[in-house]
Amino acid sequence: MQIEATSSGGILCRTGAIVLTFLIVGCEVESSDNLPDVSESGLFMYAEANLHDAEETAPIAAAETAQIAAAVFRDGQPVGLVGGDVFEARTETDRILLKESGSFVGSYAASMPIDNSVQDVFLNVVHEPVEAREDRWYPVDLLNIDPGPGELVGKSATVSFPPAVKITGPAADPVSVYASIDEIIDLTWVAGGEGNTIGEDDTMRVLSAVNCTDGLATSSYGTVVEFTNGDGTVVEFTDDDGLEAISLDQFIYDLNDDRPVLRFIKDAARVLLQELLNDLSAGNIDPDFLASQAEANPVNSACEIRLFLQRQRDGQFDASFDSGRVVGSRSAEVVVNYVPVVQLN
Amino acid sequence: MFTLIKLFILLLVVCIPVTAHAEDTPVKSMQLDVNLLLTRMNAGGNDEFKSGNAVAVQYSYYFKNWLAADIGLITTDKTLDESRTDVVGDYRASIQTSSILLGLKPRYRFSAPYEVYGRLGLLYWRTELEVEEYFSEAIPGGNISATDTGPGYYASIGGAHYITENVMVQLEIRHMKQLDVFAGQSDFPFDLTINALSIGLGYRF
Repeated sequence: MQIEATSSGGILCRTGAIVLTFLIVGCEVESSDNLPDVSESGLFMYAEANLHDAEETAPIAAAETAQIAAAVFRDGQPVGLVGGDVFEARTETDRILLKESGSFVGSYAASMPIDNSVQDVFLNVVHEPVEAREDRWYPVDLLNIDPGPGELVGKSATVSFPPAVKITGPAADPVSVYASIDEIIDLTWVAGGEGNTIGEDDTMRVLSAVNCTDGLATSSYGTVVEFTNGDGTVVEFTDDDGLEAISLDQFIYDLNDDRPVLRFIKDAARVLLQELLNDLSAGNIDPDFLASQAEANPVNSACEIRLFLQRQRDGQFDASFDSGRVVGSRSAEVVVNYVPVVQLN
Repeated sequence: MFTLIKLFILLLVVCIPVTAHAEDTPVKSMQLDVNLLLTRMNAGGNDEFKSGNAVAVQYSYYFKNWLAADIGLITTDKTLDESRTDVVGDYRASIQTSSILLGLKPRYRFSAPYEVYGRLGLLYWRTELEVEEYFSEAIPGGNISATDTGPGYYASIGGAHYITENVMVQLEIRHMKQLDVFAGQSDFPFDLTINALSIGLGYRF
């Protein structure tokens, strides 16, 4: 952290302000959901499978693992799968049940071993009363209350992976450093994927996992970058054209600001990103890392911003769903740092 | 394990009378213990049992001043696992178990009114496992239970203070192991460990 001037009184005032801010604002920051266009009526299917292109330094498991999340909504409300009904993700060679519950009822996630030859993941709801309980300690095959398959069993979706993402800027080494939330990050990548022309249907999304510390406390949260269309509408997806200028206030905010610009990651998107962070860290990450824990004020703290650029391709969902969003995605990561210039009186 | 139990019982049946006749029978050769136990169960998985209670009644026959045959009965209350939620629903398991104990009890009596003792032997248990499970308002849940029996072993160490010539108070640390609970009925058997701190009274006669 760059400090231009210091005084004991100033430090005391700043510490007091941080404590007061923490007491006033609390630890949880509200935000709306990140599920686009969930229909207020009928049955809505959400599913996403993300294949992250990890750096060579990342654990091998992460480089060969896809993160998969799914949810079903009825009349705009998430539907919990219970009684042994569970999402199953299947490729030609592997199969896994989505047993990790997300931050709200109805979102489920899992990580699945996968390789680059896999093009599609088939998701469907199955009834597995024993296998769904296998993480319990007691004999689940003997003591099993089975209500039978629910109405969602048999419903399915298929996701296809788009070309890999290759980020070309900002540079990964040395790590780019920004000092103000008014600065712009020029995020660049190979449009359409290496060796491919720009995909007509592929879109890009930028997620972040932010970790800040002011020396006394830390904050960690995730955000989804929003883009403004030509007609003024705000969306989470942008064209796969290889360039996006993103203001730093999409990642860093001031706890004293009642209406920060950024949008926190929530719901199924959060489940998926948390699953990816778990894989990249081989499980050595706080399971609530993305839970918008605000104890240090990010704008005054040193922050590590992990930018995840996703290329998304629409998949297909079962005709028995009224609507849905089913996407296969591939992602890559670049890290930038935010180190504010602290001015003390 | 059953063979082991049979051998152990046979050894006790054969040896005790012979030994008792071979030695001078102590004036007070028998003891009855009644103990209350604070128990902690562990099924070896991700179980998180709350502490429970149990009662133990044990009879000891001293065929030497320092060694007794020990037989007893121990029964626990219904001990609850933590409630939890997973992809299937909300659930809670509980265990109630009783065991017959058969073993040896060596002791060392100090000149002062104190003695230390241990117990070591085999047990035969009967365990009932119950699971309550609830899914949602629309899908009812309920209770389901199963019972199994089988062998295990126990060991303990304790100390006693004679408050009269015949009556003593006892403090004892116990370890009991039930082996292969629900083996044969399930593909997911487990070993149940019960550790306990007990306090009680003993009566020598």
